[in-house]
Amino acid sequence: MHPFTYTRVDDVDAAVAAVTTDAVARAVQVPEDAAFIAGGTTQLDLMRDGVWSPGTLVDISRLPLADVEVEDGDGDDGTVLVVGAAVTMADLARHAAVAGLDVLRDSLLLAASPQLRAMATIGGNVLQRTRCRYFRDPTVSQCNKREPGSGCAAVEGTARMHAVLGVDAGCIALHASDLAVALVALDARVRLHGPDGVRTLPVADLHVRADDDPARDNVLTPGELVTHLEIPVPDARTGYLKVRDRASYEFALTSAAVVARVEDGVLAHVAIGLGGVGSVPWRATRAEEVLRGRPASLALFEEAAAAELADAFTLPGTDFKPELARRTLVRQLRDVTEVTA
Amino acid sequence: MTTTQVPTSTGAPVIGAGVTRVDGPLKVTGAVPYADDLAPRDALVGVLVGSTVAAGEISLVDTSDALAAPGVVAVLTHHNAPAVIRPNEASSDERAPMPPFQDATVRFRGDYVALVVAQTHEEAAHGASLLHVTYDATEPVVDLNDPRATRETDDPAGADSTRGDLDRGLAAADVVVEADYVTGDNTNNPLGLFAACAQWDGDALMMWATTQWPFNTADCLAEAWGIPREDVRVVCPYLGGGFGSGLRPWPYIHAAAMAAKVVDRPVRIVLSRPQMFTGVGHRPETVQRVRLGALRDGTLTAVEHTATIPVAMDDDNPENVVSGTRQGYAVEHLRADVDQVRLHISPPGSMRAPGEAQGNFGLETALDELALELGIDPVELRLRNYAHTNPDQDDLPWSSKALDECLRRGAELIGWDDRDPTPRSMREGDQLIGYGMAAVSFFYFQQPCTVRVVVRRDGSAAVHCAAMDIGTGTYTVVTQVAAERLGLELADVEVVLGDSSLPASPPAGGSGLAMAISNATARAVTGVLGDLELGSAPGRDALSRAVGDRDEVAAEATADKPDPAEVGMSPSGAFGAKFAKVRVDADLGLVRVERLVSVIDCGQVLNERTARSQVVGGTVGGIGHALLEHTTTDLHAGPQTGRITNAHLADYLIAVNADVPDLEVEFVGGPDRLNPVGVKGVGEVGLCGVAAAIGNAVHHATGRRIRRLPITPDLLL
Ligand SMILES: Cc1cc2nc3c(=O)[nH]c(=O)nc-3n(C[C@H](O)[C@H](O)[C@H](O)COP(=O)(O)OP(=O)(O)OC[C@H]3O[C@@H](n4cnc5c(N)ncnc54)[C@H](O)[C@@H]3O)c2cc1C
Repeated sequence: MHPFTYTRVDDVDAAVAAVTTDAVARAVQVPEDAAFIAGGTTQLDLMRDGVWSPGTLVDISRLPLADVEVEDGDGDDGTVLVVGAAVTMADLARHAAVAGLDVLRDSLLLAASPQLRAMATIGGNVLQRTRCRYFRDPTVSQCNKREPGSGCAAVEGTARMHAVLGVDAGCIALHASDLAVALVALDARVRLHGPDGVRTLPVADLHVRADDDPARDNVLTPGELVTHLEIPVPDARTGYLKVRDRASYEFALTSAAVVARVEDGVLAHVAIGLGGVGSVPWRATRAEEVLRGRPASLALFEEAAAAELADAFTLPGTDFKPELARRTLVRQLRDVTEVTA
Repeated sequence: MTTTQVPTSTGAPVIGAGVTRVDGPLKVTGAVPYADDLAPRDALVGVLVGSTVAAGEISLVDTSDALAAPGVVAVLTHHNAPAVIRPNEASSDERAPMPPFQDATVRFRGDYVALVVAQTHEEAAHGASLLHVTYDATEPVVDLNDPRATRETDDPAGADSTRGDLDRGLAAADVVVEADYVTGDNTNNPLGLFAACAQWDGDALMMWATTQWPFNTADCLAEAWGIPREDVRVVCPYLGGGFGSGLRPWPYIHAAAMAAKVVDRPVRIVLSRPQMFTGVGHRPETVQRVRLGALRDGTLTAVEHTATIPVAMDDDNPENVVSGTRQGYAVEHLRADVDQVRLHISPPGSMRAPGEAQGNFGLETALDELALELGIDPVELRLRNYAHTNPDQDDLPWSSKALDECLRRGAELIGWDDRDPTPRSMREGDQLIGYGMAAVSFFYFQQPCTVRVVVRRDGSAAVHCAAMDIGTGTYTVVTQVAAERLGLELADVEVVLGDSSLPASPPAGGSGLAMAISNATARAVTGVLGDLELGSAPGRDALSRAVGDRDEVAAEATADKPDPAEVGMSPSGAFGAKFAKVRVDADLGLVRVERLVSVIDCGQVLNERTARSQVVGGTVGGIGHALLEHTTTDLHAGPQTGRITNAHLADYLIAVNADVPDLEVEFVGGPDRLNPVGVKGVGEVGLCGVAAAIGNAVHHATGRRIRRLPITPDLLL
């Protein structure tokens, strides 16, 4: 581990001022960087593994961003949950406002372990880094995320917990957050606070696809801090299905976040996030297009799932994923809509 | 949970009673001294650096940046490390692992190339990141199926065996089934990271180290340094799990001794989790072929079981994959054969039920396939071929065997006869339901063990032995045996273990220690009672009177394995039957174990609680073996070859609570006839058979036969 200094900040402006490089957006952090640390469950792992070596850690866990508020939405939105970035996964999962929002609650409760959920924050979860073991081992020389142009060892190596959508032979790193998959299906937004002020971004636009630029993980500009998540509560049924080898404490092989409302047998509203498959939390727009406004049926679900996975980039270790993802999505569409035929 | 307090002054038996662990309070309050807790607090800290190629020579180690880093005191490499002798070098099959830093050769990825010694762990780790090592890399051979790999057929484990005439047996068969089975590489992964701290006093070496065999570790260190055995002391009163990874004198232990010598200060090393994957052994993968011939009525006419298993460069690790096959069933014609293939992999070692865990999966899955082919119930097939005598040992009668009872009781407990035996016939919603079973005939392993029993003037007693308690309950069961035989309360017996300066002990391994140490304890008690001219279980007052005004009276005794020919019996290991009920998601391929029944014959149960906990823990390991655990290595040619890709507890999947149902455990059978306490080991039988039972249940549920471990959802899509 590289030596570093540690500071704790008490207000958002001080946090923003402390981070002057684009450390939060780049896939690697170097000694010139000051970087935010919230729960530290991603940040410290990467430092211990020798992948990241920021010169300064700016602790944002005590910022006054630990509240969950229920606000009225504008326009068609019903209510909106405004969640501070420093709220822990555990606290959000057991918050009364989340009790009826299955997709959000389950994406939290099926993630990590109780110990990790008690440490990890919502902001950190959305910005967690890939679990790719080639990225996370600095003795691996080929990694386009760490060393642009060096190649991708995972493509030739043992790929399993890797992505098949939004990737190419240059990088197959998976974005492994469960929460973010639920958030894209809920049309959630992040509130950002930076040196130039405040802006709001759909979660679906926050991350950078590996086939666009593996060396960048997200679009945050230097010093930009995630202060809140805005989560509209949909007028729909929701659910999150996570498929994994181990019954608990494992990232998803595949997962599906489904938000749907069936009116007179027709899919009046449908939004889908897929996990375990994308270099970013995957919004399944192609599947949604197939489904939207059509009579719900198992055959339609199959068609939609097939459309979404049609262009998957697979390797010998990940060639099971499109099929498993299709089945995961069909199952979850069935269970959320309660369509039986 | 209830506490069992058994009064012993009345002579009531305490052997067998499920008394709570004598070290339980220390454990739950965090007060037990693990080896690393005993290290001197002023010790320097060493961080090991592993090679980043899998084969070749180190061409250059540039230590200048590392040595200039804050806190760094020294860097050990093959240039400046003391030369030591490799222990057991003369042995043909059990050479100790190579001590580190003796030459420039890299034998696997992660092979130690340097040790950075600093004031603190952080400084040493930082120094380690500043080391620049260059290699003349050569092309490694890491794939078991690589034709370039050297195949060793000299049978170091004594695994190979032929009986009768296989071809004749096959020719006589009505039905032959034949298939290949593959088991993946697994890593022991005890939660406690292994640690060693060395301190020299002149030429005398004090070592606190994580080990399952302090006595042998001391032997090896004495040999390595060419110093008298009595000048080496290895202490390890407790460790945080072993599962076999503490059996061998691993290189990191030598590294601590070398560094302490060079800097002339105590030096401690704690392995990192990734280093636990390459530095302390692993369960090697296997490729097996099983061929079974049988008559229509199920009688086996021929059994052939061959296996290929890897071994590291310049290393030995005898692992008998076919022991259960050789002694499992009454079959006249048999061929069993294990070949080792030399690879540039980190040295394998024992992992709970070495050989038998893998081999049992091949054999017991093949038997399920045969049962199906013949239309005979799988339990009935095993009973029809029951080995009433040991076919692998001149057909001598077993010293104890209740496998038939295990099978019948297990079937009853799980409701075997209530299932619909047709594959893929049972379903609830999306879930396919399946039942499967397997039998286990675990090998007998025994090595000499010496125990000293001391009776003190106040009538209390102490038991001394170099053996280790790896968490199985050795402290407790030895206390029980001594207390019962001396007629003492448990609290009046002190058991001192885990120190090589105490009487010689075998390893805490091979399911052999409980038997060895309890028999030696019983014998030593008999000895001391003889010296004191007392009858059995005299109680504290009589003991005190007999000791009189002496400080104490002590006796030593050794237990060893019997000669089968002389006793006219085949010494038995444990037997067991495993029955699994699984649910498999019909679309998603997810396998979840709903019930797992283990019925075990381990002879005299020493302590119902700790024995049960061994079977429960073994079963958890078995569920991992069946469905989750898999150490994966990069096999493709290139700079990553030979790198373990999941050397991390987040990526290497061990069964967690949610994967484990309430496990049902029953013990059957009685005391073994061959030893004074009647005990057989129970440490490993719990794991064996679980994988085959689950695999067979998956087949029953789905109609899909998966012949490889782990059985993951992608294989079932
Ligand atoms: C063993 C293990 C298993 C896991 N399993 C799962 C799982 O199954 N599902 C799942 O979804 N996740 C899982 N995780 C990931 C875990 O949820 C994340 O590590 C955690 O949510 C990160 O939150 P944190 O507060 O600890 O972030 P930190 O580690 O402190 O930060 C993560 C990153 O985000 C940046 N950052 C943090 N907060 C902000 C902010 N407000 N604004 C800008 N930048 C910020 C930090 O600089 C850092 O780069 C697992 C993690 C581990 C270690």
